[in-house]
Amino acid sequence: MPGWIEIIIRSTILLLILFLLSKGFGKKKLSQLTVFQYMLMIVIGGIIALSAISSDIPVSYGGLALAVWFIIPVAAEFIALKSKRFRDVTKGKGTVLIQNGKIMDDNLKKERITTDDLLGSLRSNNIFNAADVEFAVIEPNGDVNVLPKKEQQPVTPKMLGTKVSPSKEPQTVIMDGKMLLEPLANASLNPNWLETELEKMNVSIENVFLGQVDSDGQLTVDLFDDQLSVPTPAEKPLLLATLKKCQADLEMFALETENEEAKALYQKNSERLQKGIDKITPYLN
Amino acid sequence: MTVSSQVKGCYASLKNADATLETLAAKTQDQETEKAFREARNTVRTVKQDLEQQVIFLTREEPQYKS
Repeated sequence: MPGWIEIIIRSTILLLILFLLSKGFGKKKLSQLTVFQYMLMIVIGGIIALSAISSDIPVSYGGLALAVWFIIPVAAEFIALKSKRFRDVTKGKGTVLIQNGKIMDDNLKKERITTDDLLGSLRSNNIFNAADVEFAVIEPNGDVNVLPKKEQQPVTPKMLGTKVSPSKEPQTVIMDGKMLLEPLANASLNPNWLETELEKMNVSIENVFLGQVDSDGQLTVDLFDDQLSVPTPAEKPLLLATLKKCQADLEMFALETENEEAKALYQKNSERLQKGIDKITPYLN
Repeated sequence: MTVSSQVKGCYASLKNADATLETLAAKTQDQETEKAFREARNTVRTVKQDLEQQVIFLTREEPQYKS
């Protein structure tokens, strides 16, 4: 067998093996690997490259080496999955860099991180002042994760004590001008409803690039023709405006009337409506 | 505009809000949201009922504007 044919055959087989091996390592990104795993990949690549071109090494030797370099790490990963202690040894533990707002300089030295490195990783977490950090840890893969002090954390509705309406994932019901039946059924809606909504917006389905329905059954569309403008859903803002107007009207009636009984009635209902508006407002935004 | 017609207008707006709340409650996929809409609808309905009495009363008081 001429050498070049052998190399073609070897390369093709090893290419397939490499593909299968890469599946075996799971879905982790390159940046999530530890240094050891990274070197492991390089070694496996080296073995494959060597056995592909050097015809004086039997293929079986290459395959054997590959098997060892593949099976042991994968087996170790399976054990690590089960045992916390094993995991700590093979994958390493995170090291605390900042605790209670104080920089742990011993740990910095242990991980060989300079002050500039630390400041740099804080900056990539959008923190420019080390005093703003409550807790920071370097993960085994080298990522630095930071918990800012409470007053430096972004405001959430919970902190403000405001209520927000729960929202679920929207369903994509139109893609490239075609109706998607399954997501439509997931939102418990039917094609008739979609046609009616599109008619209300005065657009034809062929012209819709993307259409989504949120959990409240509001349809938003994007058209192929960017010159056209589509109406944004106005049902909820309109409702809120109507309720507010009614409440204001009632208050005005209460002020205008001279009949005491009617005054009391308007007053009472105006207050009642105001309470209702306060409760429903989070759901209408 | 007379008082009577103003109150009637407000009553109509409340009717509109009531109907919108009903459709929203029917459309939503989320139970909590549905509950909130139902509660709001109940409030709107009680206000509406009170106002209905007032509309009748005012029509009696100003019969010349009866429509």
